[in-house]
Formats: sequence, structure tokens, C-alpha cells
Amino acid sequence: MKLPGSLQGRLLALLLPGLVLLWAVVAVVSYFDTEHELDELLDSHLAQAAALLVVQQMAESEEHDEAHHRDRTVPPPEPNGYTTRTAFQVWYQGHLSLRSTNAPSAPMATHQSGFMTLRLSGEKWRVFASRRPEHQLLVYVGEQMDSRDDILIAVLRSLLVPAALALPLLALAGWWSVRRGLAPLRSLSGQLRQRQPQALQPVTMLDSPSELAPLVEALNQLFGRIAALIDTERRFTADAAHELRTPIAAIRTQAQVALGAVADDERRHALHQTLTGCDRAAHLVQQLLTLSRLEGQAAGNPGSPVVDLAVLARHVAAELGRGALAHQQQLELDAPGPCPVRGDEALLGVLLRNLLDNALRYSPDGAQVRLTLAQDAAGTRLQLEDGGPGLTPDEQRRLGERFFRVLGTGVDGSGLGWSIVRRIAATQGASITTGRSESLGGLAVRVHWPSVVTVLS
Amino acid sequence: MRILLAEDDTLLGDGLRVGLRQAGFQVDWVRDGAAAERELRGQPYAAVVLDLGLPRLDGLDVLTRVRAAGVHTPVLVLTARDAVPDRIRGLDAGADDYVVKPVDLDELAARLRALVRRAHGQTQERLRQGELELDPGARSVQRAGQAVTLSTREFDLLHALMLAAGRVLTRDQLEHSLYAWGQEVDSNAVEVHIHHLRRKIGADAIQTVRGVGYAIARSAPA
Repeated sequence: MKLPGSLQGRLLALLLPGLVLLWAVVAVVSYFDTEHELDELLDSHLAQAAALLVVQQMAESEEHDEAHHRDRTVPPPEPNGYTTRTAFQVWYQGHLSLRSTNAPSAPMATHQSGFMTLRLSGEKWRVFASRRPEHQLLVYVGEQMDSRDDILIAVLRSLLVPAALALPLLALAGWWSVRRGLAPLRSLSGQLRQRQPQALQPVTMLDSPSELAPLVEALNQLFGRIAALIDTERRFTADAAHELRTPIAAIRTQAQVALGAVADDERRHALHQTLTGCDRAAHLVQQLLTLSRLEGQAAGNPGSPVVDLAVLARHVAAELGRGALAHQQQLELDAPGPCPVRGDEALLGVLLRNLLDNALRYSPDGAQVRLTLAQDAAGTRLQLEDGGPGLTPDEQRRLGERFFRVLGTGVDGSGLGWSIVRRIAATQGASITTGRSESLGGLAVRVHWPSVVTVLS
Repeated sequence: MRILLAEDDTLLGDGLRVGLRQAGFQVDWVRDGAAAERELRGQPYAAVVLDLGLPRLDGLDVLTRVRAAGVHTPVLVLTARDAVPDRIRGLDAGADDYVVKPVDLDELAARLRALVRRAHGQTQERLRQGELELDPGARSVQRAGQAVTLSTREFDLLHALMLAAGRVLTRDQLEHSLYAWGQEVDSNAVEVHIHHLRRKIGADAIQTVRGVGYAIARSAPA
């Protein structure tokens, strides 16, 4: 059975048929119960009446002669609805001695004692027979079964008619009370419907029933989380807009300088600077997009494909090697064997590129940058060391804050590289630590990936 | 007119320095807050363009410190922080103007000229003393309605003297306002430019105060 869509409909659909069924069962049980009790009562009346007739006949037979006992009829008492429905015969010495007017002259029944239900001139009768063989006496007392049925029906009617009348009233009362009970739910949905999309304050419900409290609480928690998320997004957008101002200001200024330049070399310089500014802004936008895509990404699943970090590192190093050469920097890659890790190849590439780019960017001309990859039982270890100025513990702690830049380096960066690196590490199940490089003196970045086997088991 | 530019972004700093030089300013460029404070305390600049997010010492701290040290150089804050509370904080810390990046170079130059003018108690963009009329924006000079052609240095020299009309400027002060860092200065450069100026605008326009410097007499306002 398909239940109605509304809670109210469901409750009524479950309640009302149950109520009807219950009533029907009560009616059937009372019918049989009443019938049984009624039979007992009326049967005892029949037996009583028969006993009286026996006693009366015996008393008469002592006073009168035989002729007196020939087919006398007794008129009905005060007429009422039942007089024609009861009848009796008294047989004395083989003759019909006494009968009620509606009784036939032939014997009413064939049995000699006890109760019997039989058909008499088309009607169902209940007949009690009482026989006294020593006095040659046989008494029949009968009653139409119709009268019993009438009483039963009257009893049933008094039971069922109020029920039939009460049922619609009950349905109405049920509908009303269910509606009353669900009022808080309606008020909640009303509140939610009227909300502006940006309204994220908690829902308030006065005297909310205990069944609704968990829902309201869960809703409010959800609102809280969404508000926090929107707040982060808003801050990110504001930060991004703020950070884009300086490169745009630089581009605008340099373009204006180029326009106002009189000397050719001044104009060329300004135009060159304009292009550099565009590249920088493009880089910043690229980093922003990468980061915003990463923000929505869940942590990596253990079923990611296996990537050889050594091969990937070689690609990235080759890509960035040209820039290193231009600054006479020595870029070394030490990866003796394959280093399998689980993860997204593109994201791991972004991570390596950002780390290596930072190392080269913040190291002076002629500095050394060394990338070491090693594989052991615990997993894959990457170590990137540079000969740059390094970072103070406080600066190391702040790496990964959006738009955090170590000031005074004279290097233009987006301030997002480390945010991206940390975010990727988090989604790819890698852990990052930083410190001072023992051999090169600059920053040392260590990344650790759990063993591929460990991840599998 | 010599100004100090404090900006840590290389690209923007380079553009501002060249652009402001095109507009006729002599620009000294520092890249951190500590250097900005040192220069402001040590040298009489006509004005400062101050970025707020400076390494070593934040621009607002520079501003608070030099104002506390009694430096009255007009300060134009140039920053990416555009929120109203930031602007209020900047102005309250002693900034004379607050400009949000990106800015038009011509507008920046005009704002700087206005700051310098106000710092010298002038309300008019054009400066007038006697027969002379100087337009800093157009970098033009007229004498009795006739245009006079001056070299960059001659114009800057006359501009400095007219801004400080009625006051004597020493040779060092004049030299400082004419030359930015890294520009070669002959030992008698100021005297040479004064000489040429007098030939073009009249010998008696600039007075020599022997042993002290030079001055242009303040005339009664027209």
C-alpha cells in the first residue's frame, strides 16, 4: 500500500482503518456473546414456563375428570409484540389438554425432552419439551427465533450506530490534532521559505517539540558551516583582489611611462616591464585558480594510480632548468631508483613545480639547489635544499598562509605557492616539514609519502 | 622638485620612478620602511610617496615615527589597502593624501604638486611673483606675459625659489631639490643655473644673500 505524501495523510491513513477494524471486531465479539447470553436467558424462561405448566396440569388433573382436559385454549394475555411469538401445548394422557391460541392442534415437536430448534408453519421456533411419563404428561413451550434475532439486531444497532456516527467525527478530530501537532514543522518551513539566500543566522523556534529539536540543531549547524565557508570565500576573493592591485598598478604605470617616454630605450624598457608585469599577473591568476580548485577537492582516495615521482621530478626539473641556467644556478636531481607514490600526477607535478620554483626563485645567482628522492620501507622521501638565505622558524611556520610573502627578498612571488603545496600535500596524503639545509645553508623542505604497499593494505 | 618613493614592488617602483621623472620630479627610490624613515629624517624632500606594505618597517609605522620626530614633509600614501578604516588610519597617522593602487601617473603627479603647494601655503596651482608666473603642471614660465624657455634644472630651481618666496634657500638645499641619487653634480652647478636663469628672467629677479644662498622676494598678492 502506498502511503499518502503528507505526514498528516499518513497518520490518518494508519489510524482510521485501524479504528474501523477494532470496532468491527468488538461488534462481532459482542454479537456472539450477546447471542449466547440471550439464548441462555430465554431458554431458561422456556424451561421455567414448561415447569409451571406441568405443575398446573398435575394440580388440575386431581380436581377434574378426564373430559375437562380436552383441548382448551388459553387466550393471550395483555397483547404485546411478543404474544403471538410464544406458544405452548399440554398433552395429557395422549390428548391435547391445553394450548395457547396460536399453538397448532398437532404436536409442536417430535422430541420428548429438552430443547430443539425446528420449523413450524414456515417459522423457526425454539421448543422446550418437558415430559412426565408417570402422569402421562408432555408439555411443549415454544418461542419464535425471530424475536431473538430482533433483540440481537437491536443490541448490535445500539453498538454500531454511534460508532458509524462517531467515525467521521473521530477522523475530523484526528485530522485537527495531527495538524495542531505538526504546526511547528509548518512554522519551520515557513521560516526557511522566507529566507534570503545570504541569510545564514540560526533558525529560532519557540517551544519546538523535542522531535524537531535535532532537526533544527542540524539545520543551524549546517547554516554555521555554510556561513564559515562563504566567509572564507569572501576573504579569499578580497585578498585576491587586493593582491592583484599591485601587479595591475605596475602594468598601468609602466604602460603610461612607455607612452610618455621620449627616448627609445626608455620606452623599450617600460614596455618590457609592462610585459613582465602581465606575466606576473597571469602567474598570480594561475596560482589563484589552482588554489581555488584545490580548496574544493577532497582528500585523495587510496585507489589513485601509482606515479613514479622520480620521472615526474625529472620532467619538472628539466622544465625549470632553463631559468636556473640563466641565473647560473646549479640544479641537481638525485633520484637513483623509481619512487612510486599514489596520487594525481598533475597535482603532484604542481607541487614539485611550486617547491622547485620557490627554491630557485629565492636563491641568489650561482646558488646550488638539490632535489633528492629516496625510497625506503616507510615510503618515499623527497628533500629539496637550496643555498638561499633560508627562513626563520617564525617564517617557516607562516609558510602556507595565503599571500604570505617573506618581505625584503626583492623577489616577486604570488604568495600562494606554499598554500598550494600544503593543500596538495593534504589531498595526496603527503606530509611536509621544513628546516635548515645542513649542506647548502638555505631552506630544506622534506616531503614524505607513505609506502604504496602500506596504502594498499 | 625632489621626492622620496618608498615602494617594495620592483616593477611598480621602477615604473613610478621613471614616470614621476617624466613629470619633472627628481625621485629617490627606497624599497623598505627602515630606509624610508632614515631618508625622511635626514633629507628635506618636497614630498613622499609611501607604500604601506613595506618590509622591515610598515609604512604606517614609518609615518607615525617621522611625524613624531617632527618631520612635516607631505606624505602621499599609495597602497592596495582600500577599505575605509585603512584610509582613516592612514590619514590619522599623518598622511596628507591617500591613493589606492592602481593610480594614473598624471593624477599622482598632480596630487604631489598639490601637496607641495599646500605645504608652502599656496592655494593656486600657478605661482606668481612680480612679473613672473610659473605653471608647475605645464612646466612653463611666463615673464610679463611672455613665455620663457627654461631647461629642466633652471625650471626646478625657479620653482623651488618661487615656492619658498621671501625665504632664503641655501646652495645645499637647492642642490638637493635639483638632483636625485646617482646624478652627478658639479660643485658649482647651482651657481651656473642661477646665472643662466638671471639671463632669461632678469638679473634682479633672484637675489643673492652673500654667504647664505638665494631668494626671490615675495610680492604683494595680486
